[in-house]
Amino acid sequence: MLNFIFDAASVAPGDFTGFTFFIGSVSMLAATVWFLMQHGQVDKKFKDSMLVAALITGIAAVHYFYMREQWVLTGESPTELRYIDWILTVPLMVVEFALLTGVGMRKLFWASVVMLVAGYFGESGVTGMLDAQIWGLISGGAYFYMAYEVGCLTIFGGPTGAVGTALNSASGKIPSAGRMLQWYVLVGWAIYPLGYLMGTDAGMWYEGMSNIALDMNVVYNVGDAINKIGFGMAVWSAARS
Amino acid sequence: MDVILKSKLIGLILALSIIFFGLDSSYSILLFLIVMLSIGIPHGSVDHIIAFINPDARRFNSKLIFYIIYLSLIIINIVLWIISPFLGLLIFLLISCYHFGETQVLGYNSTDNKLLNFVIGANILLSLFLNNIIELQGILYILPEFSNLDLSNFDGAFFLLISVAVLMLSVTNFNIKRKVPLYAEITILYMVFYHTDLLTSFTLYFGFCHSLPMLMLEFEEFKTDNFIKFYLKTLPFTILSLVFGFLLYHFNNDLLTSDNLILFVFIIISSLTLPHVFIMKDFVKDK
Repeated sequence: MLNFIFDAASVAPGDFTGFTFFIGSVSMLAATVWFLMQHGQVDKKFKDSMLVAALITGIAAVHYFYMREQWVLTGESPTELRYIDWILTVPLMVVEFALLTGVGMRKLFWASVVMLVAGYFGESGVTGMLDAQIWGLISGGAYFYMAYEVGCLTIFGGPTGAVGTALNSASGKIPSAGRMLQWYVLVGWAIYPLGYLMGTDAGMWYEGMSNIALDMNVVYNVGDAINKIGFGMAVWSAARS
Repeated sequence: MDVILKSKLIGLILALSIIFFGLDSSYSILLFLIVMLSIGIPHGSVDHIIAFINPDARRFNSKLIFYIIYLSLIIINIVLWIISPFLGLLIFLLISCYHFGETQVLGYNSTDNKLLNFVIGANILLSLFLNNIIELQGILYILPEFSNLDLSNFDGAFFLLISVAVLMLSVTNFNIKRKVPLYAEITILYMVFYHTDLLTSFTLYFGFCHSLPMLMLEFEEFKTDNFIKFYLKTLPFTILSLVFGFLLYHFNNDLLTSDNLILFVFIIISSLTLPHVFIMKDFVKDK
């Protein structure tokens, strides 16, 4: 087990990737404190939302401390820890929609289960069945279903599911906060399929993706911080009203 | 219900401290002993009082009948472990699922839905075991079908994913008043289970998500302001339980797996748990 406080290894000078792990961990921690402080300030109906926002960044902070440590000590990408973080936090992010609207928890949970399980099966190859592109297709399908359900397509005048309808027709600042959340799901979450394609491209029609000059650790670290903290901030902006 | 959440918060702080400050797994037995002696066993050591002061509790005609039934259940459980460790373990798990689940839903839903109680408890135990499955294989060598399973193809994320997926499906398919906070609390537990070894995971869960909230709830039931006075009432049966454990360990035979301390501890806990579950079932009703 690691001792982050007393034995934590320092990020070496010039290690930009390590620096983004560090920034990820401290910004998530700061966001957690902020959301917990705001928990006492918001209306009762938003308290659970603020608590979940704090939990999302809190869990991420713990895992970013672990990831930074692994990166600094071994130089290896902390894939398993990243998955652990996502497995715990993605359902909680999905829950925020249900908390704001009061509908759709069952559908969104099911979709996120399919997205996570299929994504993991595809990337790890643990089942020995199907190949990465099929699993990716299933996972991507679940992601697009969620995007539809929460109303991301309404940004371009497209159709929406029950959650999106409820978000757009809610009172107060919920519709504007909902719009921010929809952007996060549509754009912010798009980095995850990109990472999947880069990690599983061997022998696939998308082979060569891993040659793209992009450090996925940096993309994930920055993306995670924006998505998770941003998600909470969007909820907070609705709660302030 | 405030007292339950505050107790759980203490556990959360301790769990996070262990993750952040780091505790070598060699200290897990010490942590286990401290928590069990100070909170774990005491929370069941006032069953003999709870059974009589709680109006909703199962009614016994006299203290003698209560003790006969209580001790008989303990003895039956030990005999069961000796005759068939598999059956002993199975019954312990089934009862624990219900009992742990019942305590877990307190504050989030009424405990009337027995199936919900069982499913939530089963989820927690499933995650505890799945996230420490390699360690568990070493402990449960009495079940070769399980301990010889080759799990080398699976990593920790796989088992966590299974636990979280089962939890999500369980939570969505039940009518729960405060669904999200319940899910959120269990998510924290799962994180702790993943990052700590089996005994530490169990200690943190059993001590701070189960025993401490129940102990505080029992304290409220006693309607006294003096916690020390209440805590002293738990001591006689805590000490008796320890003596019982030492005696059982001293006069053990191979059937009680003397060379496997953790399994032996499981047997002791299951023996103390069986009668306790029936008392608590009535105690938490309408809470």
